[in-house]
Amino acid sequence: MAVMRNTLAQLAGDRRFVIVSTVVPVVVIYLLSVFWDALNTPLVEQSRFAVPAGAFIVHFVTYVLTAIVLVRERVAGTMERMFISGYRPGEIVAGYLGAYTLLATLQSIVILLVLTLLFDLGLGLGGTLEVYVVMWLMAVVSLALGMLVSNFARNEGQVFPFVPLVMMPPVFLSGMIVAIDALPTWAQTVSWAVPLRYAVDVIHEITDGGGLADAWAPLIMLPALAMVILFLAARTLREEV
Amino acid sequence: MMDDGLVVVASGLVKRYQSVMALAGLDLGIRRGEIFGLIGPNGAGKTTLIRAIVGALQPTAGSVRVLGLDPIADRWQLRRRLGYMPQQPALYPDLTTHRNVAFFAAAHSVHANSGPVQRTLELVDLVDRADDPVRTLSGGMRQRVSLACALVHEPELLILDEPTAGVDPELRATFWQRFREMANRGTTVVVSTHQMGEALECDRVALIRAGKVVAAEGPGRLFRSRRATVRLDDGNGERRIDLDDYERQLPALMHESSAARVTIEMEPLDDIVLRLIREGEE
Repeated sequence: MAVMRNTLAQLAGDRRFVIVSTVVPVVVIYLLSVFWDALNTPLVEQSRFAVPAGAFIVHFVTYVLTAIVLVRERVAGTMERMFISGYRPGEIVAGYLGAYTLLATLQSIVILLVLTLLFDLGLGLGGTLEVYVVMWLMAVVSLALGMLVSNFARNEGQVFPFVPLVMMPPVFLSGMIVAIDALPTWAQTVSWAVPLRYAVDVIHEITDGGGLADAWAPLIMLPALAMVILFLAARTLREEV
Repeated sequence: MMDDGLVVVASGLVKRYQSVMALAGLDLGIRRGEIFGLIGPNGAGKTTLIRAIVGALQPTAGSVRVLGLDPIADRWQLRRRLGYMPQQPALYPDLTTHRNVAFFAAAHSVHANSGPVQRTLELVDLVDRADDPVRTLSGGMRQRVSLACALVHEPELLILDEPTAGVDPELRATFWQRFREMANRGTTVVVSTHQMGEALECDRVALIRAGKVVAAEGPGRLFRSRRATVRLDDGNGERRIDLDDYERQLPALMHESSAARVTIEMEPLDDIVLRLIREGEE
Protein backbone atom coordinates (compact mmCIF):
# COMPACT_ATOMS: atom_id res chain seq x y z
CA MET A 1 0.00 0.00 0.00
CA ALA A 2 2.88 2.37 0.79
CA VAL A 3 4.26 2.09 -2.75
CA MET A 4 0.80 2.73 -4.21
CA ARG A 5 0.20 5.77 -1.98
CA ASN A 6 3.64 7.08 -2.83
CA THR A 7 3.11 6.61 -6.58
CA LEU A 8 -0.31 8.30 -6.41
CA ALA A 9 1.25 11.20 -4.54
CA GLN A 10 3.90 11.46 -7.25
CA LEU A 11 1.21 11.51 -9.92
CA ALA A 12 -0.66 14.21 -8.02
CA GLY A 13 2.55 16.21 -7.77
CA ASP A 14 3.40 15.77 -11.45
CA ARG A 15 0.30 17.34 -13.02
CA ARG A 16 2.06 17.84 -16.33
CA PHE A 17 2.50 14.08 -16.65
CA VAL A 18 -1.17 13.42 -15.88
CA ILE A 19 -2.33 16.12 -18.32
CA VAL A 20 -0.02 14.91 -21.10
CA SER A 21 -1.08 11.30 -20.62
CA THR A 22 -4.76 12.20 -20.98
CA VAL A 23 -4.60 15.07 -23.47
CA VAL A 24 -2.25 13.40 -25.99
CA PRO A 25 -4.67 10.50 -26.67
CA VAL A 26 -7.48 13.03 -27.15
CA VAL A 27 -5.44 14.90 -29.77
CA VAL A 28 -4.59 11.64 -31.55
CA ILE A 29 -8.26 10.59 -31.61
CA TYR A 30 -9.23 13.98 -33.00
CA LEU A 31 -6.66 13.54 -35.80
CA LEU A 32 -8.08 10.07 -36.37
CA SER A 33 -11.57 11.53 -36.81
CA VAL A 34 -10.20 14.09 -39.29
CA PHE A 35 -8.52 11.25 -41.19
CA TRP A 36 -11.75 9.22 -41.12
CA ASP A 37 -13.80 12.11 -42.46
CA ALA A 38 -11.28 12.67 -45.26
CA LEU A 39 -11.36 8.97 -46.12
CA ASN A 40 -15.13 9.21 -46.49
CA THR A 41 -15.72 5.47 -46.93
CA PRO A 42 -19.16 3.98 -46.38
CA LEU A 43 -17.74 0.44 -46.68
CA VAL A 44 -16.43 0.17 -43.14
CA GLU A 45 -18.52 0.83 -40.08
CA GLN A 46 -17.15 3.68 -37.96
CA SER A 47 -17.32 1.69 -34.74
CA ARG A 48 -15.36 -1.26 -36.22
CA PHE A 49 -12.59 1.17 -37.11
CA ALA A 50 -12.64 3.75 -34.33
CA VAL A 51 -13.10 1.61 -31.23
CA PRO A 52 -10.13 -0.73 -31.90
CA ALA A 53 -8.09 2.38 -32.77
CA GLY A 54 -9.06 3.84 -29.38
CA ALA A 55 -7.99 0.60 -27.67
CA PHE A 56 -4.70 0.77 -29.53
CA ILE A 57 -4.11 4.37 -28.37
CA VAL A 58 -4.77 3.34 -24.75
CA HIS A 59 -2.37 0.43 -25.27
CA PHE A 60 0.35 2.61 -26.78
CA VAL A 61 0.22 5.56 -24.38
CA THR A 62 -0.09 3.46 -21.23
CA TYR A 63 2.71 1.14 -22.26
CA VAL A 64 5.19 3.88 -23.19
CA LEU A 65 4.47 6.08 -20.15
CA THR A 66 4.69 3.21 -17.67
CA ALA A 67 7.96 1.99 -19.13
CA ILE A 68 9.50 5.48 -19.06
CA VAL A 69 8.31 6.29 -15.54
CA LEU A 70 9.74 3.07 -14.15
CA VAL A 71 13.06 3.47 -15.95
CA ARG A 72 13.21 7.03 -14.62
CA GLU A 73 12.80 5.58 -11.14
CA ARG A 74 15.67 3.21 -11.80
CA VAL A 75 17.93 5.95 -13.16
CA ALA A 76 17.14 8.26 -10.20
CA GLY A 77 18.21 5.50 -7.82
CA THR A 78 14.88 5.40 -6.00
CA MET A 79 14.16 1.89 -7.27
CA GLU A 80 17.38 0.57 -5.72
CA ARG A 81 16.71 2.55 -2.57
CA MET A 82 13.24 1.01 -2.29
CA PHE A 83 14.79 -2.44 -2.47
CA ILE A 84 17.52 -1.70 0.05
CA SER A 85 14.93 -0.16 2.37
CA GLY A 86 13.17 -3.51 2.36
CA TYR A 87 10.38 -3.15 -0.21
CA ARG A 88 9.98 -6.43 -2.09
CA PRO A 89 9.51 -6.85 -5.88
CA GLY A 90 5.87 -8.02 -5.54
CA GLU A 91 5.04 -4.99 -3.34
CA ILE A 92 6.67 -2.60 -5.82
CA VAL A 93 4.92 -4.09 -8.86
CA ALA A 94 1.55 -4.21 -7.07
CA GLY A 95 1.98 -0.62 -5.86
CA TYR A 96 2.72 0.72 -9.31
CA LEU A 97 -0.04 -1.36 -10.85
CA GLY A 98 -2.57 -0.02 -8.35
CA ALA A 99 -1.61 3.61 -8.85
CA TYR A 100 -1.26 3.55 -12.62
CA THR A 101 -4.46 1.55 -12.99
CA LEU A 102 -6.26 4.56 -11.54
CA LEU A 103 -4.60 6.76 -14.15
CA ALA A 104 -5.44 4.24 -16.87
CA THR A 105 -9.05 4.22 -15.67
CA LEU A 106 -9.24 7.97 -16.09
CA GLN A 107 -7.51 7.74 -19.45
CA SER A 108 -9.88 5.05 -20.75
CA ILE A 109 -12.92 7.11 -19.70
CA VAL A 110 -11.60 10.21 -21.49
CA ILE A 111 -10.75 8.28 -24.66
CA LEU A 112 -14.11 6.56 -24.80
CA LEU A 113 -15.94 9.85 -24.23
CA VAL A 114 -14.03 11.52 -27.04
CA LEU A 115 -14.61 8.54 -29.34
CA THR A 116 -18.33 8.73 -28.59
CA LEU A 117 -18.38 12.46 -29.35
CA LEU A 118 -16.36 12.35 -32.56
CA PHE A 119 -17.58 9.09 -34.10
CA ASP A 120 -20.98 7.62 -34.71
CA LEU A 121 -20.41 4.45 -32.71
CA GLY A 122 -24.06 3.44 -32.35
CA LEU A 123 -23.28 1.27 -29.35
CA GLY A 124 -25.83 2.41 -26.79
CA LEU A 125 -25.04 2.66 -23.08
CA GLY A 126 -24.63 -1.08 -22.55
CA GLY A 127 -22.29 -1.51 -25.50
CA THR A 128 -20.26 1.55 -24.49
CA LEU A 129 -19.81 0.20 -20.96
CA GLU A 130 -18.75 -3.18 -22.38
CA VAL A 131 -16.20 -1.48 -24.62
CA TYR A 132 -14.99 0.42 -21.56
CA VAL A 133 -14.33 -2.88 -19.75
CA VAL A 134 -12.23 -4.08 -22.70
CA MET A 135 -10.25 -0.82 -22.91
CA TRP A 136 -9.62 -0.86 -19.17
CA LEU A 137 -8.38 -4.45 -19.30
CA MET A 138 -6.18 -3.53 -22.26
CA ALA A 139 -4.75 -0.65 -20.20
CA VAL A 140 -3.87 -3.07 -17.39
CA VAL A 141 -2.13 -5.39 -19.88
CA SER A 142 -0.23 -2.37 -21.24
CA LEU A 143 0.84 -1.34 -17.73
CA ALA A 144 2.17 -4.82 -17.13
CA LEU A 145 4.01 -4.78 -20.47
CA GLY A 146 5.52 -1.38 -19.66
CA MET A 147 6.73 -2.69 -16.31
CA LEU A 148 8.22 -5.79 -17.90
CA VAL A 149 10.03 -3.86 -20.63
CA SER A 150 11.35 -1.28 -18.14
CA ASN A 151 13.22 -4.09 -16.39
CA PHE A 152 15.39 -4.54 -19.47
CA ALA A 153 16.27 -0.88 -20.01
CA ARG A 154 19.03 0.90 -18.11
CA ASN A 155 17.92 4.40 -19.10
CA GLU A 156 15.02 6.22 -20.76
CA GLY A 157 16.75 6.06 -24.17
CA GLN A 158 16.82 2.28 -24.07
CA VAL A 159 13.04 2.17 -23.79
CA PHE A 160 12.59 3.49 -27.32
CA PRO A 161 13.96 0.49 -29.26
CA PHE A 162 11.34 -1.58 -27.43
CA VAL A 163 8.53 0.72 -28.62
CA PRO A 164 8.36 -0.50 -32.25
CA LEU A 165 9.13 -4.04 -31.10
CA VAL A 166 6.09 -4.09 -28.83
CA MET A 167 3.79 -1.64 -30.65
CA MET A 168 4.15 -2.48 -34.35
CA PRO A 169 2.94 -6.12 -34.22
CA PRO A 170 -0.44 -5.03 -32.74
CA VAL A 171 -0.97 -2.64 -35.67
CA PHE A 172 -0.71 -5.44 -38.24
CA LEU A 173 -1.51 -8.60 -36.29
CA SER A 174 -4.45 -7.65 -34.08
CA GLY A 175 -7.18 -7.59 -36.72
CA MET A 176 -7.47 -3.83 -36.29
CA ILE A 177 -6.63 -3.04 -39.94
CA VAL A 178 -6.70 -6.41 -41.72
CA ALA A 179 -8.74 -9.43 -40.62
CA ILE A 180 -6.53 -12.06 -39.01
CA ASP A 181 -8.00 -14.77 -41.24
CA ALA A 182 -6.60 -12.93 -44.27
CA LEU A 183 -3.03 -13.07 -42.92
CA PRO A 184 -0.52 -15.82 -43.81
CA THR A 185 -0.53 -18.81 -41.45
CA TRP A 186 2.69 -17.83 -39.68
CA ALA A 187 1.33 -14.33 -38.99
CA GLN A 188 -1.91 -15.83 -37.65
CA THR A 189 0.18 -17.96 -35.29
CA VAL A 190 2.21 -14.96 -34.10
CA SER A 191 -0.99 -13.00 -33.53
CA TRP A 192 -1.87 -15.28 -30.59
CA ALA A 193 0.96 -13.57 -28.69
CA VAL A 194 -0.42 -10.07 -29.38
CA PRO A 195 -2.65 -8.88 -26.49
CA LEU A 196 -4.48 -6.33 -28.65
CA ARG A 197 -5.76 -9.19 -30.83
CA TYR A 198 -7.98 -10.38 -27.97
CA ALA A 199 -9.22 -6.85 -27.25
CA VAL A 200 -10.08 -6.33 -30.94
CA ASP A 201 -11.85 -9.71 -31.07
CA VAL A 202 -14.09 -8.69 -28.16
CA ILE A 203 -14.65 -5.16 -29.52
CA HIS A 204 -15.69 -6.52 -32.92
CA GLU A 205 -18.12 -8.87 -31.19
CA ILE A 206 -19.66 -5.86 -29.38
CA THR A 207 -19.74 -3.59 -32.46
CA ASP A 208 -21.35 -6.44 -34.44
CA GLY A 209 -24.21 -6.50 -31.93
CA GLY A 210 -22.99 -9.17 -29.51
CA GLY A 211 -21.87 -8.75 -25.91
CA LEU A 212 -19.06 -9.67 -23.56
CA ALA A 213 -20.62 -13.05 -22.85
CA ASP A 214 -20.40 -13.92 -26.55
CA ALA A 215 -16.68 -13.21 -26.57
CA TRP A 216 -15.75 -14.70 -23.22
CA ALA A 217 -12.77 -16.65 -24.56
CA PRO A 218 -10.75 -13.67 -25.91
CA LEU A 219 -12.05 -11.56 -23.00
CA ILE A 220 -10.63 -13.88 -20.39
CA MET A 221 -7.30 -13.84 -22.20
CA LEU A 222 -6.77 -10.18 -21.26
CA PRO A 223 -6.64 -10.59 -17.44
CA ALA A 224 -4.84 -13.91 -17.92
CA LEU A 225 -2.15 -12.23 -20.02
CA ALA A 226 -1.94 -9.34 -17.54
CA MET A 227 -1.28 -11.79 -14.72
CA VAL A 228 1.35 -13.71 -16.65
CA ILE A 229 3.14 -10.50 -17.69
CA LEU A 230 2.95 -9.07 -14.14
CA PHE A 231 4.40 -12.29 -12.77
CA LEU A 232 7.27 -12.01 -15.26
CA ALA A 233 7.70 -8.31 -14.40
CA ALA A 234 7.98 -9.11 -10.67
CA ARG A 235 10.41 -11.96 -11.39
CA THR A 236 12.67 -9.87 -13.60
CA LEU A 237 12.61 -6.68 -11.49
CA ARG A 238 16.29 -6.04 -10.80
CA GLU A 239 17.97 -3.97 -8.14
CA GLU A 240 21.08 -3.22 -10.15
CA VAL A 241 20.99 -0.39 -12.67
CA MET B 1 26.55 -15.02 15.05
CA MET B 2 28.87 -12.04 14.72
CA ASP B 3 32.56 -12.74 14.08
CA ASP B 4 34.46 -11.49 17.16
CA GLY B 5 32.23 -8.44 17.61
CA LEU B 6 32.64 -7.44 14.00
CA VAL B 7 29.54 -6.08 12.33
CA VAL B 8 30.93 -6.35 8.80
CA VAL B 9 33.47 -8.96 7.73
CA ALA B 10 34.71 -9.14 4.15
CA SER B 11 37.17 -11.85 3.08
CA GLY B 12 38.85 -12.00 -0.28
CA LEU B 13 35.98 -10.02 -1.80
CA VAL B 14 36.12 -9.82 -5.60
CA LYS B 15 33.75 -8.03 -7.96
CA ARG B 16 34.54 -8.04 -11.64
CA TYR B 17 32.61 -6.08 -14.29
CA GLN B 18 33.75 -7.57 -17.60
CA SER B 19 37.38 -6.39 -17.85
CA VAL B 20 37.20 -4.09 -14.80
CA MET B 21 38.15 -5.45 -11.39
CA ALA B 22 36.19 -3.23 -8.98
CA LEU B 23 37.09 -5.27 -5.89
CA ALA B 24 40.27 -7.31 -6.04
CA GLY B 25 40.32 -9.62 -3.02
CA LEU B 26 39.34 -7.08 -0.36
CA ASP B 27 39.59 -7.97 3.35
CA LEU B 28 37.91 -5.84 5.99
CA GLY B 29 36.44 -5.94 9.50
CA ILE B 30 34.20 -3.25 10.97
CA ARG B 31 33.51 -3.16 14.72
CA ARG B 32 30.20 -2.47 16.41
CA GLY B 33 29.58 1.17 17.36
CA GLU B 34 32.49 2.68 15.46
CA ILE B 35 32.55 5.27 12.71
CA PHE B 36 34.43 3.53 9.97
CA GLY B 37 35.65 5.55 7.01
CA LEU B 38 36.21 4.20 3.53
CA ILE B 39 38.68 6.57 1.97
CA GLY B 40 40.16 6.48 -1.48
CA PRO B 41 40.22 8.17 -4.85
CA ASN B 42 37.30 7.97 -7.28
CA GLY B 43 37.02 4.50 -8.78
CA ALA B 44 38.88 2.87 -5.87
CA GLY B 45 35.98 0.49 -5.18
CA LYS B 46 34.29 2.23 -2.24
CA THR B 47 30.79 2.26 -3.73
CA THR B 48 31.14 -1.31 -5.01
CA LEU B 49 32.10 -2.41 -1.50
CA ILE B 50 29.11 -0.59 -0.04
CA ARG B 51 26.77 -2.18 -2.59
CA ALA B 52 28.18 -5.60 -1.67
CA ILE B 53 27.56 -4.86 2.02
CA VAL B 54 23.92 -3.88 1.46
CA GLY B 55 23.32 -6.87 -0.86
CA ALA B 56 22.77 -4.79 -3.97
CA LEU B 57 25.30 -6.81 -5.94
CA GLN B 58 26.52 -10.36 -6.00
CA PRO B 59 30.29 -10.63 -5.46
CA THR B 60 32.22 -12.54 -8.12
CA ALA B 61 34.23 -14.33 -5.40
CA GLY B 62 34.99 -14.13 -1.70
CA SER B 63 32.51 -13.56 1.09
CA VAL B 64 30.94 -10.78 3.09
CA ARG B 65 28.94 -11.14 6.31
CA VAL B 66 26.95 -8.22 7.69
CA LEU B 67 25.43 -8.36 11.20
CA GLY B 68 26.14 -12.09 10.98
CA LEU B 69 24.03 -12.44 7.83
CA ASP B 70 24.70 -13.09 4.15
CA PRO B 71 23.71 -9.86 2.33
CA ILE B 72 22.31 -11.77 -0.65
CA ALA B 73 20.74 -14.89 0.88
CA ASP B 74 19.41 -13.07 3.97
CA ARG B 75 18.83 -9.71 2.29
CA TRP B 76 15.30 -9.07 3.60
CA GLN B 77 16.28 -9.95 7.16
CA LEU B 78 19.37 -7.76 6.92
CA ARG B 79 17.64 -4.78 5.35
CA ARG B 80 15.35 -4.38 8.33
CA ARG B 81 18.46 -3.65 10.39
CA LEU B 82 20.46 -1.33 8.16
CA GLY B 83 20.09 2.18 6.84
CA TYR B 84 21.56 3.19 3.50
CA MET B 85 22.21 6.60 2.02
CA PRO B 86 23.28 6.33 -1.61
CA GLN B 87 25.68 8.67 -3.37
CA GLN B 88 22.93 10.40 -5.36
CA PRO B 89 20.08 11.63 -3.14
CA ALA B 90 17.59 9.11 -4.68
CA LEU B 91 14.50 11.01 -3.56
CA TYR B 92 11.12 11.84 -5.11
CA PRO B 93 11.45 15.49 -6.19
CA ASP B 94 7.70 16.13 -6.51
CA LEU B 95 6.94 14.80 -3.05
CA THR B 96 7.39 16.74 0.17
CA THR B 97 10.26 16.22 2.57
CA HIS B 98 7.91 14.58 5.06
CA ARG B 99 6.42 12.22 2.48
CA ASN B 100 9.86 11.13 1.26
CA VAL B 101 10.98 10.30 4.79
CA ALA B 102 7.63 8.67 5.63
CA PHE B 103 7.80 6.49 2.51
CA PHE B 104 11.15 4.97 3.43
CA ALA B 105 10.00 4.73 7.06
CA ALA B 106 6.94 2.73 5.95
CA ALA B 107 9.22 0.02 4.55
CA HIS B 108 10.16 -0.62 8.19
CA SER B 109 6.57 -0.36 9.45
CA VAL B 110 7.25 3.09 10.93
CA HIS B 111 4.06 5.13 10.57
CA ALA B 112 4.14 8.46 8.70
CA ASN B 113 2.85 10.51 11.65
CA SER B 114 4.80 8.64 14.29
CA GLY B 115 7.49 9.94 16.64
CA PRO B 116 10.48 8.57 14.68
CA VAL B 117 9.57 10.51 11.51
CA GLN B 118 9.13 13.74 13.44
CA ARG B 119 12.29 13.17 15.50
CA THR B 120 14.33 12.44 12.38
CA LEU B 121 13.13 15.64 10.70
CA GLU B 122 14.17 17.52 13.83
CA LEU B 123 17.53 15.75 13.84
CA VAL B 124 18.32 16.90 10.30
CA ASP B 125 16.82 20.31 11.03
CA LEU B 126 14.15 20.20 8.34
CA VAL B 127 10.94 20.55 10.35
CA ASP B 128 10.21 23.94 8.80
CA ARG B 129 10.65 22.50 5.27
CA ALA B 130 8.70 19.30 5.96
CA ASP B 131 5.79 20.28 3.70
CA ASP B 132 7.87 21.61 0.81
CA PRO B 133 8.49 19.49 -2.31
CA VAL B 134 12.05 18.19 -2.39
CA ARG B 135 12.62 19.85 -5.80
CA THR B 136 12.39 23.25 -4.07
CA LEU B 137 15.19 22.42 -1.60
CA SER B 138 18.88 23.24 -1.98
CA GLY B 139 21.45 20.50 -2.66
CA GLY B 140 22.53 20.43 0.99
CA MET B 141 18.93 20.15 2.19
CA ARG B 142 18.32 17.26 -0.19
CA GLN B 143 21.34 15.51 1.30
CA ARG B 144 19.77 16.01 4.72
CA VAL B 145 16.46 14.55 3.51
CA SER B 146 18.37 11.60 2.08
CA LEU B 147 20.15 11.12 5.41
CA ALA B 148 16.80 11.29 7.23
CA CYS B 149 15.42 8.54 4.96
CA ALA B 150 18.39 6.33 5.88
CA LEU B 151 18.14 6.70 9.63
CA VAL B 152 14.40 7.15 10.29
CA HIS B 153 14.03 3.52 11.46
CA GLU B 154 17.02 3.81 13.81
CA PRO B 155 19.14 1.10 12.16
CA GLU B 156 21.93 -0.83 13.87
CA LEU B 157 24.19 -0.25 10.91
CA LEU B 158 24.16 2.96 8.92
CA ILE B 159 25.91 2.95 5.55
CA LEU B 160 26.53 6.31 3.92
CA ASP B 161 28.01 6.62 0.45
CA GLU B 162 29.71 10.01 0.18
CA PRO B 163 27.09 11.76 2.33
CA THR B 164 28.95 15.06 2.35
CA ALA B 165 29.65 15.32 -1.39
CA GLY B 166 28.62 18.81 -2.51
CA VAL B 167 27.84 19.88 1.04
CA ASP B 168 29.17 23.17 2.45
CA PRO B 169 31.68 23.04 5.37
CA GLU B 170 29.16 24.15 7.99
CA LEU B 171 26.65 21.46 7.05
CA ARG B 172 29.46 18.92 6.77
CA ALA B 173 30.41 19.64 10.40
CA THR B 174 26.76 19.17 11.40
CA PHE B 175 26.62 15.84 9.57
CA TRP B 176 29.71 14.56 11.36
CA GLN B 177 28.30 15.70 14.67
CA ARG B 178 25.17 13.64 13.95
CA PHE B 179 27.23 10.60 12.95
CA ARG B 180 29.18 10.87 16.21
CA GLU B 181 25.97 11.11 18.25
CA MET B 182 24.64 7.99 16.54
CA ALA B 183 27.87 6.08 17.10
CA ASN B 184 27.75 7.09 20.77
CA ARG B 185 24.31 5.49 20.95
CA GLY B 186 25.75 2.22 19.57
CA THR B 187 25.02 2.57 15.85
CA THR B 188 27.82 1.43 13.58
CA VAL B 189 28.38 4.08 10.92
CA VAL B 190 30.21 3.26 7.70
CA VAL B 191 31.02 6.36 5.65
CA SER B 192 32.71 6.53 2.27
CA THR B 193 34.35 9.74 1.20
CA HIS B 194 37.02 11.00 -1.11
CA GLN B 195 37.53 14.05 1.11
CA MET B 196 40.62 13.03 2.99
CA GLY B 197 40.09 15.53 5.79
CA GLU B 198 37.01 13.60 6.88
CA ALA B 199 39.22 10.66 7.83
CA LEU B 200 40.10 12.56 11.00
CA GLU B 201 36.44 12.34 12.09
CA CYS B 202 36.41 8.54 11.95
CA ASP B 203 37.34 6.02 14.64
CA ARG B 204 39.07 3.90 12.02
CA VAL B 205 39.76 4.38 8.37
CA ALA B 206 40.35 1.97 5.49
CA LEU B 207 42.37 3.35 2.62
CA ILE B 208 41.10 1.71 -0.53
CA ARG B 209 42.94 1.63 -3.81
CA ALA B 210 42.22 -0.48 -6.89
CA GLY B 211 39.70 -2.62 -5.05
CA LYS B 212 41.93 -3.47 -2.09
CA VAL B 213 42.40 -2.17 1.44
CA VAL B 214 45.94 -0.84 1.59
CA ALA B 215 45.73 0.34 5.21
CA ALA B 216 43.11 0.16 7.97
CA GLU B 217 43.98 2.16 11.08
CA GLY B 218 42.77 4.84 13.42
CA PRO B 219 43.37 8.26 11.85
CA GLY B 220 45.84 9.16 14.63
CA ARG B 221 48.08 6.24 13.72
CA LEU B 222 47.49 6.69 10.02
CA PHE B 223 48.54 10.33 9.94
CA ARG B 224 51.19 10.09 12.68
CA SER B 225 54.08 10.29 10.23
CA ARG B 226 52.91 13.56 8.72
CA ARG B 227 55.50 15.43 6.68
CA ALA B 228 56.06 19.17 6.99
CA THR B 229 58.18 21.95 5.58
CA VAL B 230 59.58 24.35 8.17
CA ARG B 231 60.89 27.82 7.21
CA LEU B 232 63.21 29.36 9.77
CA ASP B 233 64.00 33.07 9.50
CA ASP B 234 66.76 34.39 11.81
CA GLY B 235 66.81 37.87 10.25
CA ASN B 236 69.64 37.09 7.82
CA GLY B 237 67.59 35.01 5.46
CA GLU B 238 65.21 32.10 5.34
CA ARG B 239 66.21 28.44 5.75
CA ARG B 240 63.89 25.69 4.55
CA ILE B 241 63.90 22.27 6.21
CA ASP B 242 61.79 19.28 5.09
CA LEU B 243 60.73 16.98 7.92
CA ASP B 244 59.77 13.36 7.16
CA ASP B 245 58.15 12.89 10.56
CA TYR B 246 56.85 16.22 11.79
CA GLU B 247 55.59 15.00 15.17
CA ARG B 248 58.96 13.50 16.20
CA GLN B 249 61.39 15.91 14.53
CA LEU B 250 59.81 19.34 15.11
CA PRO B 251 60.36 19.58 18.92
CA ALA B 252 64.07 18.85 18.47
CA LEU B 253 64.36 21.36 15.64
CA MET B 254 62.64 24.09 17.64
CA HIS B 255 64.90 23.37 20.58
CA GLU B 256 68.03 23.90 18.45
CA SER B 257 66.80 26.85 16.45
CA SER B 258 67.14 30.50 17.39
CA ALA B 259 65.02 31.75 14.48
CA ALA B 260 62.94 34.86 15.08
CA ARG B 261 60.22 33.65 12.76
CA VAL B 262 59.08 30.09 12.07
CA THR B 263 56.60 29.06 9.37
CA ILE B 264 55.32 25.48 9.23
CA GLU B 265 53.62 24.07 6.15
CA MET B 266 51.98 20.77 6.92
CA GLU B 267 51.72 18.07 4.28
CA PRO B 268 48.12 18.21 3.02
CA LEU B 269 45.99 15.26 4.12
CA ASP B 270 45.26 14.40 0.50
CA ASP B 271 49.00 14.03 -0.13
CA ILE B 272 49.41 11.86 2.97
CA VAL B 273 46.65 9.57 1.86
CA LEU B 274 48.07 9.27 -1.63
CA ARG B 275 51.54 8.60 -0.17
CA LEU B 276 50.15 5.98 2.21
CA ILE B 277 48.29 4.35 -0.65
CA ARG B 278 51.50 4.24 -2.74
CA GLU B 279 53.47 2.85 0.23
CA GLY B 280 50.72 0.29 0.86
CA GLU B 281 50.89 -0.87 -2.74
CA GLU B 282 54.67 -1.25 -2.52
